Amino acid sequence: MTGSILIIVAFMVIPLIVGVVSSRQSQETSEDFFVQGRAMGSIAVFFTVAATWWSAFAFLGSNATFYTSGPVYLTALAWNLLFGFMYYWVGKRVWFLGKRFNYLTPSDLMGDFYNSEALRILVALITLVFTVPYLQIQLTGGAYLIEVASNGVVPFWLAALLFYFIIIVYVWVGGIRAIAWTDVIYGALLFFGMMFAGYYISNQVGGPAALFAQLQEGSPSHLTMPGPDGNMGYSMWFSLFVIVAIGAFMGPQIWLRMYSVKSGKLFNLMPFLLGLAAFAYFGSVLTGYTGVLLEPDLENADQVLPVMLMNYAPYLLASMIMAAGAAAAMSTANSQIHAVSTVVTMDIYQRYVNRHASQARIVTIGRLSLVGFSLVAYILALTVPGLLVTIGIAALAGTAQLIVPTIGAISWKRAHPMAAFWGLIGGVGCVLLLTYGASVSNPLGLHAGIWGLLLNTTLFVGLSLVFQRHDQDVVERFAKARKEYDAQFHPERLEDGVKRVAEVTATR
Amino acid sequence: MRKMLPPRKLALYGSMFLGFLMLESPMILVANQIEPMIMGVPFFFIWNLGWWAFLTALFLVAYLTNWGSESVFSQSTTTQEASL
Repeated sequence: MTGSILIIVAFMVIPLIVGVVSSRQSQETSEDFFVQGRAMGSIAVFFTVAATWWSAFAFLGSNATFYTSGPVYLTALAWNLLFGFMYYWVGKRVWFLGKRFNYLTPSDLMGDFYNSEALRILVALITLVFTVPYLQIQLTGGAYLIEVASNGVVPFWLAALLFYFIIIVYVWVGGIRAIAWTDVIYGALLFFGMMFAGYYISNQVGGPAALFAQLQEGSPSHLTMPGPDGNMGYSMWFSLFVIVAIGAFMGPQIWLRMYSVKSGKLFNLMPFLLGLAAFAYFGSVLTGYTGVLLEPDLENADQVLPVMLMNYAPYLLASMIMAAGAAAAMSTANSQIHAVSTVVTMDIYQRYVNRHASQARIVTIGRLSLVGFSLVAYILALTVPGLLVTIGIAALAGTAQLIVPTIGAISWKRAHPMAAFWGLIGGVGCVLLLTYGASVSNPLGLHAGIWGLLLNTTLFVGLSLVFQRHDQDVVERFAKARKEYDAQFHPERLEDGVKRVAEVTATR
Repeated sequence: MRKMLPPRKLALYGSMFLGFLMLESPMILVANQIEPMIMGVPFFFIWNLGWWAFLTALFLVAYLTNWGSESVFSQSTTTQEASL
């Protein structure tokens, strides 16, 4: 037991050292603290995006879902690909505009393009309100692992507290640079841990082929939709695909990882890398299904992986894989805490409280926000129970709504601020009503987030076609930026593409 | 003025659409069965892994062909990127 705790402690301390060391390159400017001076290189970008995107939701929630609900989580293969595609198609454009107009948060882009303070505030509120529950599940997941690994010696509340203390320290000193560096370690641990855990655990029943054969005989409903309880059919399959990919992509932590990138070329490669990494989910398939055979009566499905490891793997190996699980949770939590502190500092403090704040003051406020939001998430983790996946999807359904005005901002001249505002109100309202309205059930079994997106899109397109924008200077500024983007990356879209490339290059 | 999508780009995006269609349209229900097992793995899983592999490979092709667009990057830009 002591060895197990020592490994987890070591896992927490090593990234702490890496984070502190990386902070030596930091500068006391808001741009460096929040987006690493927009100069993040390819290795750091891949690992920090992947590790941030893959969370406790993926590491623990995937095993739990295969264990309780059958193969519906296999749709994760497709949602990883969709996430990768969006990172290329949407992310590259957001990056370009961010670099062109010095954006740091989602609200910066929306507020600027739509030229609306109300929309700016609404976007900030959505990112904050819906990120905190997702942050909560990282804390819960990481704390579960430590609690199980220590056999209850380190109780849940203390594990969660330790977890956040470590994160706060290195994010405080190093900002996003420290996060990116530590995410290289976390990312590697995470993918290796998921794959190896599945392979090792499934060998307890004779390997993958034997596992599927035994499952076919003992519990065939686990191998096809709608799963053993009959409630995880195509509607949920499709809902998860849309909501998880878009919801996570629109989280403020991923926005910062679009703005931070050094070169646009990297966006072209990310879909392949992120898609390839999705194979690790096959490890979760094996772990969850072996759990069905060997530990069918677990009270808390989220603990299937740690329990299987403790019961069937050597002590040292179990501890290392659980450290990988904690890595999954920590690598997302650190990015989320940092991102929400960025939103509070830049969208609220600097814009509405102290417009003339010095760079040092802004960074200090950012650091204090880290502590505040960590505290909120900690209290939620202790007081709001629920399965990781259930809480996670509800939160993602909220942030997913931001995709509609975002696509409008990067690609549609007619996109209107009123349409964006009321589209978001309608979308988020629909999510909340269908999620928490006791007497309302989701039509066709589709998740509330899907209906929210449909309503949001309808309002957005409809109202944009009805209303006319009068701030032509803003519209033209963005149209010009989009043309520059095309000239730089898609010259074939322009009649005189090659000429424009030369013009743009010459002016820089 | 904007031009039509070049054929290479059209082929790439069309193939991606097909891949996602196979994975996420109601067509997935046709593959929602255990038999035939291939190498001990249920057909539903093989279907998903197969289309996942197809799309992942397609993303690699997309990267290598600059996503069907005319390349405007210099080699020096890409080598500069390979740093942390």
